[in-house]
Amino acid sequence: MTGGDVVLQTTNATNATGAGVSRPPSAPLADSIAGMLGLDGVVGAVVGGLIGAFLIANVMLTTTAIAGPWAKRKITASFTDRIAVNRVGPFGLLIIVADSVRLLSKELIVPDGVDRPAWDLAPIVITFSALIGFAVIPFGSGLQLADPETGVVFVFAAASIASVGVVMAGYASNNKYSLLGGLRAIASNIAYEIPLIVTAASVVIFAGTLQMSEIVAVQRQPLVTVAGVTIPQWFAIVNPFAFALFTLANLAEIGRNPFDLPEAPTEIVAGFQTEYSSVYFVLLYLGEFIHIFLGGAIAATLFLGGPAGPVLPGFVWFYVKMWAFFLFTQWARSAVPRLRIDQFLDAGWKGMLVLSFANLALTAILVGVIV
Amino acid sequence: MSLEEPGPDADAAAVARAADEMEALVGEHVRSRDDHLNAPGYVVRPDAVQDVLGTLREEANLDHLSCVTAQEYEDRYESIYHLKSYDDPTHEASVVVPTPKDDPRSESAAPVFRTADWHEREAYDLVGVEYEDHPDLRRILLPETWQGHPLSLDYDQERPQIVPLREHANPLEDDQEGDEGETMYLNIGPHHPATHGVLHLKTTLDGEQVIDVDPDIGYLHRCEEQLCQKSTYRYQIMPYPDRWDYISAGLLNEWAYARAIEDMADIEVPEYAQVIRTMGAELCRIAAHMLAVGTFALDVYGDFTAIFMYAVRDREKVQNILEDLTGQRLMFNYFRLGGVVWDLPDPREEFFESIRDFLDHLPGSLEEYHDLISANEILQVRTVDTGVLPPEVAKSYGATGPVARGSGVDYDLRRDDPYGYYDELDWDVVTEDGMDNYSRLLVRLREVEESAKIIEQCVDLLEDWPTDDRTIQSNVPRTIRPDDDTEVYRAVEAAKGELGIYMRSDGTEQPARFKIRSPCFSNLQTLPEMSNGEYIPDLVASLGSLDIVLGEVDR
Amino acid sequence: MIGILKGMATTMKHALDGKTFTVEYPDVAPEVSPRFRGVHKFSQERCIWCRQCENVCPNDTIQIVMDDKRNGEQYNLHIGQCIYCRLCEEVCPVDAILLTQNFEFTADTKDEFVYNKEQLKNVPWYKGIDPLNSRNPDRDAWIGEGEGEIDYE
Ligand code: SF4
Ligand code: SF4
Repeated sequence: MTGGDVVLQTTNATNATGAGVSRPPSAPLADSIAGMLGLDGVVGAVVGGLIGAFLIANVMLTTTAIAGPWAKRKITASFTDRIAVNRVGPFGLLIIVADSVRLLSKELIVPDGVDRPAWDLAPIVITFSALIGFAVIPFGSGLQLADPETGVVFVFAAASIASVGVVMAGYASNNKYSLLGGLRAIASNIAYEIPLIVTAASVVIFAGTLQMSEIVAVQRQPLVTVAGVTIPQWFAIVNPFAFALFTLANLAEIGRNPFDLPEAPTEIVAGFQTEYSSVYFVLLYLGEFIHIFLGGAIAATLFLGGPAGPVLPGFVWFYVKMWAFFLFTQWARSAVPRLRIDQFLDAGWKGMLVLSFANLALTAILVGVIV
Repeated sequence: MSLEEPGPDADAAAVARAADEMEALVGEHVRSRDDHLNAPGYVVRPDAVQDVLGTLREEANLDHLSCVTAQEYEDRYESIYHLKSYDDPTHEASVVVPTPKDDPRSESAAPVFRTADWHEREAYDLVGVEYEDHPDLRRILLPETWQGHPLSLDYDQERPQIVPLREHANPLEDDQEGDEGETMYLNIGPHHPATHGVLHLKTTLDGEQVIDVDPDIGYLHRCEEQLCQKSTYRYQIMPYPDRWDYISAGLLNEWAYARAIEDMADIEVPEYAQVIRTMGAELCRIAAHMLAVGTFALDVYGDFTAIFMYAVRDREKVQNILEDLTGQRLMFNYFRLGGVVWDLPDPREEFFESIRDFLDHLPGSLEEYHDLISANEILQVRTVDTGVLPPEVAKSYGATGPVARGSGVDYDLRRDDPYGYYDELDWDVVTEDGMDNYSRLLVRLREVEESAKIIEQCVDLLEDWPTDDRTIQSNVPRTIRPDDDTEVYRAVEAAKGELGIYMRSDGTEQPARFKIRSPCFSNLQTLPEMSNGEYIPDLVASLGSLDIVLGEVDR
Repeated sequence: MIGILKGMATTMKHALDGKTFTVEYPDVAPEVSPRFRGVHKFSQERCIWCRQCENVCPNDTIQIVMDDKRNGEQYNLHIGQCIYCRLCEEVCPVDAILLTQNFEFTADTKDEFVYNKEQLKNVPWYKGIDPLNSRNPDRDAWIGEGEGEIDYE
């Protein structure tokens, strides 16, 4: 499995570099597991990494399983004055089981003329690219699989592998709608990934590090204290403009309204996923939701202080923040129209890109002046 | 035979004079007169069609070819061009073009009126008249390989029809323009989330841009015209109009038939019934527009938009009222010749209360729609100046209803050719000058307000209506046999535009020819005009803004 | 921007007020109007076998078989083919065929929808509503009959 390999490597890298004295406060999960098991060296790194990856991946898969068949329906329903799933189990929760069985038991239709290896690989690539991204996300309460010094770069790199998967799916499906969807995905990813990363770079300039845990740590420092309440230095508060830019670009990156052009069901049927059914469809669907949550996780880490929050443990706060982002995407879906592809690209290249560079330059100047 | 509405003598004389003047204009071509109940009919030679129509359009201001009817007699074929004026729809004329049995060829009107393109294709498809000079004369409703013309007299209904597999052949092969592969051919539909039914758009794309789109219709063809020709005037036809435009516009459609037959058989409708009809029809219009707005939002926003659900919820309220009134939610069958089948439901106060309740909440809902739709900047970016349909083009295609009014064509039969109780009430015709998808949306939203105004006035009237004068139906005999060879074309303003019925009687209790002029059919024709050169999303949005119902397009 | 925010505020308002308009069918039997037209009910006791319903039906849904003495033998109605136009009820001079409000009918095959007179007789009233009362006004206008007690069961 690709996932395991990459995680393993990063874990090794962390081990090599992070063994020094300046250990971040929340120790990478792999190390702690290794420590708990009393293992050391390479064996410890491998076993710890694998178990950690297993844990995190399971948490995320469970989250998406709740989000996909159940929460999404419930949320959409409440925006549209309906009840939604309430037939199976308490609050209709067992629909998750029912739906998985239903989807998995469907026939896997392989259309004529699909480009076989690419067509088969695409769902896997899309899903696992998102899962890999979680390797460096600091969930708080010590739940972080790996903490490389280049965490921010890694997470964006991993997330954007999904574009490759989408293009593979679109191109290999031998379907014109899929092709259009794939092309739209490339166009949108190129146009919006640059502003996304450039905006993230402004955070990096502030924090002075690419390491996820450090970025979180920086945000823990107090910004101002008003009447005894200390407002922490969350970058969303420090630079709300950058946060807004990031959220927009993030929506485009994960392909949600108003930027859900690669799928655009009323225009190009289902875009790149048109030809997928059964297990592959489940994988694609999972991948999509994990991507939303990864987007939320990145936003939470970079702008919302990561796991920071009063009373409750860090992990819970982080989880809540991810869900808040998910809720936001669904909210936007209920009321924001989709842009047209040319307007969307215009907005990306002429609007977002310029604004994000302006934001970066301003931040750089400000940081230069202050520091 | 009387011309126009039988009115005071002076009126009739004026109408007759106007008819003679028109005849003078095209005098050299007119072989005889074959007047219809609604309009003077000029019989012209098959090779003078373009001349006559062109002259009438330029000189007599008959700029609206509302319908083309073809039919077969024992001794001849006949094509009838029903002309009207957009400024004054009561100014009408029919151009009758007989063609011999053995060689049913006639000149096409397509160079004069672009709308004739599809109408003549349909005439060719169903009746078998051939039009020379037609840009693209092929079948439109039936498959290309169909044998025979179903509405011709010698058509054998029992004969099995075979649609060979090549009908489903890859349409790519001969449609790819050039070998360079610059363009891509895309089948949108027949099963596609945005086609609002089974519509097939043969689209040629350059990248994401539409170069050419050719709507392929007929998937929902249910022989409605023939069904009506096989049914009795008195009872059996009335249930069918509900099924043409089945998007809750049933009463509006029923009115089209009711109006035509009441003219033909000279049936009076009591005033009380007219008020009820008016109220019911406007309720239907609200319901239909709600769905139009909702689905349009769905096309532009995506599957998860809340607007659709809100619109459907409001439509549901209308349907509850209509269910109380008519006994059914969609297929009302509420009108009868000379009135309606039921009086308002008892207790009347409760019924009025429910309508008033709905009307009271309507402004609030509309405000929400405006917040959600028309005030939304992204929607404006998406819809303003896309799907542009200039008024001249709209007229040439015979577009009517909100589509025409969104292009600034001030044409509404409720006001211009009054029927029912509309001319007694206080309301306005809504027009917008934007010519684009956004204007069509606004027209619908504002028309809902106007309909609400009409309903409110009707409710006021009905509440105070004297108890002893509540005749819901005039006395109509159990069988109706209009005089032999009476012809009439009558139209009403349905939810999507001008819904017209042409009927010819042959002295029996069933019509000899029953032709439906569907507004969606004409409106859909404008789609290529609106979307060539635009992006796929705009094509989808334009299609949504046309608000077609395939049941009515294909009939 | 204001417009977008307004739109989002509207949907959020709807989400928060918690109102729904879903009918939880079949747990809750929906309200239908007394005029609603559902499956037919037939009364052989009342029928005079005049065949008017058969003649008026627009799509030959009703099939009546009589013996040579014009006594009715069969009365078949294809409720799957019926378009629920209520014309049969309208023309029936003795209210022998009535449309109940019952809209719930299922079958495995289309053939099972051909109801004979026994099955038509046993169609239950929906929520026990006899629709004749609500339809009385029109009966006066149409047929001038319909008063008096009618026992269908
Ligand atoms: S309701 Fe209409 S279609 Fe049904 S049986 Fe009666 S007349 Fe025929
Ligand atoms: S119309 Fe009434 S009485 Fe006559 S056959 Fe039909 S059900 Fe019987």
